[in-house]
Amino acid sequence: MTDVAKTVLVVDDDPDAREFLTTVLEDHGYAATVARDGVEALAALEQTLPDLVALDITMPEKSGVAVYRKIKEDERLRHIPVVIITGVSDDFRKFISSRRHVPPPEGYISKPVDHAQFVEMVAKLLG
Amino acid sequence: MEALHRLYFDAMPCYLTVQDRDFRIIDANRRFREDFGAFEGRFCYQAYKRRSERCEVCPVARTFRDGQPHESEEQVRTRAGVDVSVLVRTMPIMTDAGEITAVMEMSTDITHHTDLEGLLRRSQQRYRLLFDTVPCYVTVQDPELNIVEANRAFQEDFGNGLGRKCFEAYKHRREACTPCPVQETFDDGEPHTREEIVTSLSGKRMNVLVTAAPIRDAEGRVTGVMEMSANITQVRALESRLTQLGMLIGTVSHGLKGLLNGLGGGMYLVDTGFAKSDEQRVRKGWETVRRNVARIQSMVSDILYYAKDRVPNWEQVSAVDVVRDVGSLAAPRAAELGVRLTLDLDSAAGEIEADAAAVHSMLVNLIENSLDACRLDQKKSDHAVGVRLRGDTDRVRYEISDNGIGMDRESCEKAFTLFFSSKGTGTGLGLFIADRIARAHGGTITLESQLDVGTRFVVELPRSPPSDLRDGVDRHLPAKDAQP
Repeated sequence: MTDVAKTVLVVDDDPDAREFLTTVLEDHGYAATVARDGVEALAALEQTLPDLVALDITMPEKSGVAVYRKIKEDERLRHIPVVIITGVSDDFRKFISSRRHVPPPEGYISKPVDHAQFVEMVAKLLG
Repeated sequence: MEALHRLYFDAMPCYLTVQDRDFRIIDANRRFREDFGAFEGRFCYQAYKRRSERCEVCPVARTFRDGQPHESEEQVRTRAGVDVSVLVRTMPIMTDAGEITAVMEMSTDITHHTDLEGLLRRSQQRYRLLFDTVPCYVTVQDPELNIVEANRAFQEDFGNGLGRKCFEAYKHRREACTPCPVQETFDDGEPHTREEIVTSLSGKRMNVLVTAAPIRDAEGRVTGVMEMSANITQVRALESRLTQLGMLIGTVSHGLKGLLNGLGGGMYLVDTGFAKSDEQRVRKGWETVRRNVARIQSMVSDILYYAKDRVPNWEQVSAVDVVRDVGSLAAPRAAELGVRLTLDLDSAAGEIEADAAAVHSMLVNLIENSLDACRLDQKKSDHAVGVRLRGDTDRVRYEISDNGIGMDRESCEKAFTLFFSSKGTGTGLGLFIADRIARAHGGTITLESQLDVGTRFVVELPRSPPSDLRDGVDRHLPAKDAQP
């Protein structure tokens, strides 16, 4: 860990899921910010750049897929690793096949989230 | 001259005899002699029919009586034993004084013709049988789409349609449908198929698969179109039910994963709270666990309601008691979420004839929905859910309003469809079931909503359900896709 804690933006419409992931991250020395839907996530990315995004795919408002595309198509955001979190494996497959000029996500975790696996993945991606 | 007549007489391509009043054959042509042998000394009934007495009905006798030609169809047998159908014509042979001395009898072999006629009659009978017993509606239409023939199934369900327009009989319309498969077949002479929704005389709506086939005359011109409509309502209903079941399994497993994720999160907080001796964290974790367990319970009850397709149990229900009960059940959860729950109930709203358990379940779903909308709203700090009941002569009216997240227009339009949830964590069953319950009572649910402002549901239930719903004639609501 460096002196300044690395920040993870947690995007999920379920408050219980947000609470879970932010607590896990904070317990392991990361700072966490939250967004409850795609619109809020894009607004948050305009403000400050996180070191990683944990993104739920199925959400009201702008879907997780649109947020992911936006991140990977934006020069300024492209380098930020994204971990896709979803309970719908079909949606994930559709999401992957809908990519054309967008690189694959850096990580994928299915719900229910295994917190140890999640922390391990975040740690690996943030070096 | 005599010899010439004899030549003509013998050369005639039929059996010719000349008979006296006793039906004795006094002359016969060659064709007769070939098939029936020598005529000399024989009587007509002996030679032709091998009878010992004259026939009861005899055209020769009639001609002797009235001097007029007569005709009849007879069955005769040649000496070789071959049965021949003949058309018999008779004419009198008279003296100059007008006295009938003999009758000429001419029998033409029509065996082939009779066989064909029998074949035609039998095939017509078979065609009629097929036409009437085929398990679909069959009509024949002229180029103006008038029904000129209709089978029994059609007449039973749509009345005697003869002379009526197809679109009148099937769809109670005043003008032709566009596109129309029958018209298309008249236009291009090719068969056409289309799925349509028709309404029978008794008001039953049916999905039918319509096939139109051309009927051509000898020159190949399309003079009529045969239209066959197979009732596929049950197939469509089953298909829709299967699709819904498939979606249900998908959404339920998605919903369960989300709920298990919430439970996992709660357990993480409890475990780590104990390890850190952080009581507040333990409490928060336990609340999360309880909330998710309650949501699993409500999801299971919704699924059971959906799966059972229950028949309503009609009874007199106090409109105020049922909502008061639901209110008291919802109060602890509202308090936990910090949502103000207010009940404004007219205790004189009276009774309705309803299925108490179903109305209860409908109100639970609506109030739970409002509480969730408040829980998910982070833009306001003060949240309230209001429940109101009023009654008039014909109906009672429940209103459930909240100042939660609200819905945009698209979400409002989809709110009552199966498996739609704007909350991300819902099963998409609650409002669908609430709407289904209201409709099973002959009532309605309407909603007004504005994003970030709030939502108001208005349920109107009649004092007693329409007779077709109560008597179970149409208690299973039609599939949505069977609507026009």
